[in-house]
Amino acid sequence: MTPAADGFAGHSPFITTFLNIGNYVTQQQHSSWPHWWAVLLCATAFPLIWVGGLVTTHDAGMAVPDWPTTYGYNLFLYPWQSWLFGPWDLFVEHGHRLLGAAVGLITLATACAVWRAETNSLVRGLAIALACLVVFQGVLGGLRVRLDARWLAQLHACVGPAFFALCVTMFVVTSRSWKNMSRTLPSEGSSGINSAASLALLLAYLQIVLGSFVRHASWDMLPALFRATVVLHVVLGIGLAGQASYVAWRVLWRRTSPRPQQAAAIAVVALLAAQLALGVAAWTVNYGLPFGWGQHGWLAGHLVTARGAWQSLLTTAHQANGSLILGTTTLIALFAWRESWNAGRESAPSTAVLNGATS
Amino acid sequence: MGRRAFFSGQPANWMSLRQGLLWIFLVGLTGCGTADPPQFGLNRLAMRTGEVNEEHRQQIADILTAMFGTPDDPFMARAEQAANSDYDVSQDAFLATSGLDLAKLQMAAGSVASDRSGTGRGLFREHCVHCHGIGGDGLGPTAPFLNPYPRDYRQGKFKAKSTELAAKPTRDDLYGVLERGIPGTSMPSFKLLPSQEIDALVEYVKYLSLRGQTEVMLVNALFDLDEGEPIPLDQEFLVGEILSPLTATWEEAEEYVIHPPEPPEMEPEESIALGRELFQSAKANCVKCHGTLALGDGQRDDYDEWNRAYVDLKLEPSDIAAMGALPIRNIHPRNLRLGIYRFGRRPLDVYRRIHAGIAGTPMPGVGPATPGAEGTLTPDQIWHLVHYVRSLPYDELSPVGEPPSEVTRERL
Repeated sequence: MTPAADGFAGHSPFITTFLNIGNYVTQQQHSSWPHWWAVLLCATAFPLIWVGGLVTTHDAGMAVPDWPTTYGYNLFLYPWQSWLFGPWDLFVEHGHRLLGAAVGLITLATACAVWRAETNSLVRGLAIALACLVVFQGVLGGLRVRLDARWLAQLHACVGPAFFALCVTMFVVTSRSWKNMSRTLPSEGSSGINSAASLALLLAYLQIVLGSFVRHASWDMLPALFRATVVLHVVLGIGLAGQASYVAWRVLWRRTSPRPQQAAAIAVVALLAAQLALGVAAWTVNYGLPFGWGQHGWLAGHLVTARGAWQSLLTTAHQANGSLILGTTTLIALFAWRESWNAGRESAPSTAVLNGATS
Repeated sequence: MGRRAFFSGQPANWMSLRQGLLWIFLVGLTGCGTADPPQFGLNRLAMRTGEVNEEHRQQIADILTAMFGTPDDPFMARAEQAANSDYDVSQDAFLATSGLDLAKLQMAAGSVASDRSGTGRGLFREHCVHCHGIGGDGLGPTAPFLNPYPRDYRQGKFKAKSTELAAKPTRDDLYGVLERGIPGTSMPSFKLLPSQEIDALVEYVKYLSLRGQTEVMLVNALFDLDEGEPIPLDQEFLVGEILSPLTATWEEAEEYVIHPPEPPEMEPEESIALGRELFQSAKANCVKCHGTLALGDGQRDDYDEWNRAYVDLKLEPSDIAAMGALPIRNIHPRNLRLGIYRFGRRPLDVYRRIHAGIAGTPMPGVGPATPGAEGTLTPDQIWHLVHYVRSLPYDELSPVGEPPSEVTRERL
């Protein structure tokens, strides 16, 4: 099929090619290897985001002053005793680098597996994009160290979740559920989910970007700007919670939604509820109780403990959970887009086009 | 780097082709530019109050840099100073006069990093700057959200201390605040940090305070100058008249630590009853602010000195914002029935609060202002108040005299 040949209005040629994977599947044997590599990639990318969050929480980005070496050693050959039994900051930073290297290798392996097993050009393109992005992300992390530039740390923190979302995308498009969707007809009431899901996805990422401004607030950031950022982060967080809940309700209400999408819809609601609680908790363990609550009753005894376990855990969890929300909204949006594309295919005027698309 | 070195596991020199490629990439990414190193800003309030013109502002900024260095290099602006022959005193002399420990300052200053042993650097920027600001002006990014606002060190006034009202805090006072934190506020406890790191932060707080006070003194010195006359740059003025007297106040702090006498020997109930009477009396006048029930519901429209400075200028909120300052806030007296003592819960700590008051706030001291002088209350009476105040969290609310105010009723 050529993208221009399908004739479906409302979809770009790239998206059309991407969403048409199922038609290729009918022509060939399905290999599960790319999917399992993608599963492994997601399973390692998320802990990497968590450990990266720990690096920020503990301001450990400069615990190792050189890059790509670690105190002059090759990354993989740095004495493990010095790493495991050394200072906490060094443990976290070097651990982040090791895990990052592992994710990089897994990404390359995933890309190879996809390249061998998939014929869809956009899935192959996604594999290449993942490989390029993981290299770019690694270099960003390195530059943050070499330049001692905190703005690069912030950029690094924004690219990480985007990479994770792409990992989820790879996980979805290599799955059997996705490929089987080419034979699934959309049910009544499906229209509109794709745009709502797109908005939720956009808000989820915007929240991560705003959160990075709060987390990486520079010493010279104006108090008024920080305040505006925090307020916007809170307002958009509530907006995201509403939008994603609406999408989840639409997905679950139809009952005919794909099962992965249903699971993601339930998950995103739970994750958002947790995220709101984690946000308040993260603020409390870093800056004390919000809204002047620290002046009243037994709350007046609340004491912030710098570098405490709660501060480390809750702050990092809030950040990492943001990536999970991005991942689940990505999954929901992918299935919504796919369904929308299927709906467009069904309403196409000529079956000849479909035949051409699968030939 | 050769393949053998790569697999040997030994430290290797990677600086060659790899680094060259890296820097080519960097130049492309950063546009050949790097961020300017951070600088201390001027005290805008002092500049406005002293009506300092642009020429003198620049001169004050230059003098402060020459005396104290920069946020990255405290007392290390020697190269710039060497190029400026106007100064007849070296920065080493400023450092020696200040009595500060350069090694500790270097540990606290600069950008955040740590070495292989885990010893941290840039501690102030890691732990403090987001609230207290790079110059210790209490104007970090997070400041608007915090209640109370973060402390502005530049006036050299600190609430939590063991010394007389006008005296500086001791090193142990500052260390104690950092170690214990202040409950009910955003000031964290740094008890998990190594003691040498807390020490370094204490030294840096003193450094910022000394620098801030020097700035104010330079502004005050302008009043003695003719119009257009530059500030003197000689040792006699900068060291003898400015820095030495300031340093002396820090060094003398230990002499002003309050050492209360033993409490009077009597039954606790009796002492508490006497304390209650004093609390309600016009002599101690605690009820004016803390209210008859000690719920902190007395006068609630007063200001601390950091806010009052802006109130006195009668500025519009927009003018205050234009100065980069935070919106004015009232200071609220403590609810003494909470059992939360921000500056220490020991009887000794409470005694010192009542004896000396709290610097920078409307809380007055009732003890003698200087040793040997006569105070509003005797030491025994202060002990009675201490016992009463410490009994309040366990005391049933028993209105005395007038009915509770509206605020009290709400709290009840």
